[in-house]
Amino acid sequence: MSASTSQALDYLEQLPGATHKKLYQQPSTALAVFRCMLPHLAKTIVMAMLYMTGPFPVSDLDAWIRPDAKAERDQSITVLESLHIMSTVQESPKVFAYKLSTGFANSLRQALTGGGNHKSFGVPCNAPDKHKVDVAFLDKYAREQWESILYYMVGSTSGLRDGQALGQNVGNGTKKLLELGNFVNVRHGVTITKTGFTFLLQEVNAQVWSLLIVYLKQAPGLGMSEVDVLSFLFMLGSLELGQDYSTTNLTDTQLQMLEDLNDFGIVYRQSKESTRFYPTRLATTLTSDAGALQNASTDFDNALRSSRAGKGYIIIETNYRLYAYTSSLLQIAVLNLFSRLTTRFPNLVSGKLTKESVQRAIAYGIEASQIIDYLTAHAHPQMQKNNPVLPPTVMDQIRLWEYEGERIRTTTGYLMKDFNTEAEYKDLLDYAKSLGVLTWKNDAKRLLFVDRIEQISQYLTNKKRRPEP
Amino acid sequence: MNAIDATDRHIKTSDGPPPSLLAIILDTNPHAWAHLSSTLPLSKAVANLLVFINAHLASGNANEVAVIASHSQRAQWLYPTPKPSSPRSTTTTSNGHDSSSQNRSRNRDMDMANGTTALSDSANKYRPFATIEHAIQTNLTALLSTTTATDLSSTTTTLIGGALSTALTYIAKSTIRHSPVDPTLTAAAADATNPSAHLADSDGTASTQRVSLTSRILVLSVSGDLASQYIPVMNAIFAAQRQRIPIDILKLAGDTVLLQQACDATGGIYMAPAAPQGLLQYLMMAFLPDAVARRALVLPGAGDVDFRAACFCHRRVVDVGFVCSVCLSIFCEPLTDATCLTCGSHLSLATAQTAAPALIPRKKKKRKRAPGEAVTPAGSNTPVPGGTPTHA
Repeated sequence: MSASTSQALDYLEQLPGATHKKLYQQPSTALAVFRCMLPHLAKTIVMAMLYMTGPFPVSDLDAWIRPDAKAERDQSITVLESLHIMSTVQESPKVFAYKLSTGFANSLRQALTGGGNHKSFGVPCNAPDKHKVDVAFLDKYAREQWESILYYMVGSTSGLRDGQALGQNVGNGTKKLLELGNFVNVRHGVTITKTGFTFLLQEVNAQVWSLLIVYLKQAPGLGMSEVDVLSFLFMLGSLELGQDYSTTNLTDTQLQMLEDLNDFGIVYRQSKESTRFYPTRLATTLTSDAGALQNASTDFDNALRSSRAGKGYIIIETNYRLYAYTSSLLQIAVLNLFSRLTTRFPNLVSGKLTKESVQRAIAYGIEASQIIDYLTAHAHPQMQKNNPVLPPTVMDQIRLWEYEGERIRTTTGYLMKDFNTEAEYKDLLDYAKSLGVLTWKNDAKRLLFVDRIEQISQYLTNKKRRPEP
Repeated sequence: MNAIDATDRHIKTSDGPPPSLLAIILDTNPHAWAHLSSTLPLSKAVANLLVFINAHLASGNANEVAVIASHSQRAQWLYPTPKPSSPRSTTTTSNGHDSSSQNRSRNRDMDMANGTTALSDSANKYRPFATIEHAIQTNLTALLSTTTATDLSSTTTTLIGGALSTALTYIAKSTIRHSPVDPTLTAAAADATNPSAHLADSDGTASTQRVSLTSRILVLSVSGDLASQYIPVMNAIFAAQRQRIPIDILKLAGDTVLLQQACDATGGIYMAPAAPQGLLQYLMMAFLPDAVARRALVLPGAGDVDFRAACFCHRRVVDVGFVCSVCLSIFCEPLTDATCLTCGSHLSLATAQTAAPALIPRKKKKRKRAPGEAVTPAGSNTPVPGGTPTHA
């Protein structure tokens, strides 16, 4: 699981159980959720239970997992329960057991064995396409479409002379979507917002998901069913690049989606009437996480080199000088957001991270950690050999510049108080710590502050229902 | 301001676990499977194995798999299919996306009908899964159909040593391909310079590099009587141990001393299920977790490990034997001409051949100490250097 899919997970988690149930009827969805939404240990647990004949007693699971991995276990089980993949059943008065949801288990088994007749992994076209397109074309198409969206967002703020001309071929629907997602502000020309910056500094995969989640949230308003949209997205993630697929098995909602996805560059269609579509690399990597992309074979590097900022092109020295081997306007525009660029050569720009440039970026709403993450993610292969990748002094200084401007940090969350006993307080404190949601505590007053409440409340309800032995 | 502490530096660790390469060695010894056919026929075992492979691929997006058949006469690749042009092909098989075309082209003349059926029902199957299944089934069929009666009659065992070495070389190659250094650079360097020098270099720096691929080997073993390959297998085990590659053994039939030692030495899992029918559940529960997940799990214990070795002269498993004092070769009986078979050293066997070694009380030696010699501590015969020469 990675940052790119965690937002998709957040979205999935807040869906009601009935929606989950409907989603899991498609083997492709069950497989995609398994592949990219679950923590590693959760995958292990699901696979161990998949071909088990009966429910898995809680005590057996606890015996199987080491005591020092309790935090991971709790987290895995919480995710599995919140996605309605697993539930607790009472076997006998004393014995509780975990049970996989029947729908999910059946679909996952079908996905693994390839059984059934659900056609959820895309129907390839039988007849050969007269205007067959190759992978290189699809990559170029995806890159152009996606880059134009990014140009559109960054164009006005970048200060580049030709900035305004970029991103003119972005569809109206996409523009509307960017506005709805609060990525840009169009009141006085197009200006990028804080959310937009966050978006821009993400990896391509995460960007696609961010945009699609905005799209998903709008879907019910446009008369599209969320389940249809989601299962179509998960299906896209399991398609093969360079293969043409038939539109005959798609629902009306999904046909409507195809047009929008064509605008984003996620799928390619010859024309709106065409009965076939090609998924691009943006689609086929939807359900792969960052790890897969980073380790992907060389063809992937070459394909999206300029769009996903290649496989690292930035060198930073301890004296804050920055050299970026790039000729892409988009990358230069992004770098220009937080650094002072001085020289540009055909394949290289050089500049410096200065206090003014970093604080200007922070004033825009970019966070220091985002800058550091971006620089780390796009570090030159020579830099990647270092550990840590960036020079520590640069990382610290960027952070210090940020702290200079802000003395108070706000966290929205929930205060838990009025515990009856010390034990009760300690128990919840440990649980919150293991989930990683604890922000602040005061042992003397028995107060604790958490930034997420769903899992805590679930835990408390479970505890009430099942008194400790 | 105290919040900014240099020790609190945010170092971006890679999201999620590293990709995992699983090399599966399927023992296809026809004699052993014929013996097992009543409980678990080979076809059923392969079907279970395919589900397990799919589960492995699904567990991580960059996970890879390699399958080798350890047959009676040779070790044969089942997946990835080696390119016919060069036997040591470097097939990039990230989830098997790009090997499909090559498989298809290779199999075009053999079984076109099979290929088309695999394509038509792929709407019900995740594409990478379908590709791998098709490759394994085709290659396994080819392997079994080329096995002749003479092959069968000549031996009853399987070439586990060859299969293990093949798996280890493949893993080594994949590890280089996955190293954080630009793979194109590595490839160029490997081509340009002496490959062995390059390998030695990567081996030396392995500890400093970030490990980006975790590998393990799973042996699905059905044959007994592997002592004849004691030396090659032991060498493979030590190589695996050095590279920190666990060897897991699922022993469906037969019992060998050797493979149990392989697990013990490399930190793998050894399991000899009582009921081979439940193969899939054993695979899913015990062998699916990769190195990262295993850290969080209580692993099945190996029980008592039989550490006995096989002799170098007759490949017998021995409790007590004779060891060459020069090269440490093991022999089950005293050598006839008192010359080691491995290194050719002349050994004095007179004392070893006496029925009971007599205990001779040691004489206390009086040591003459030369005047001016450094005093060594009592009981220590190790010469101690007098003083470290200092550089001016």
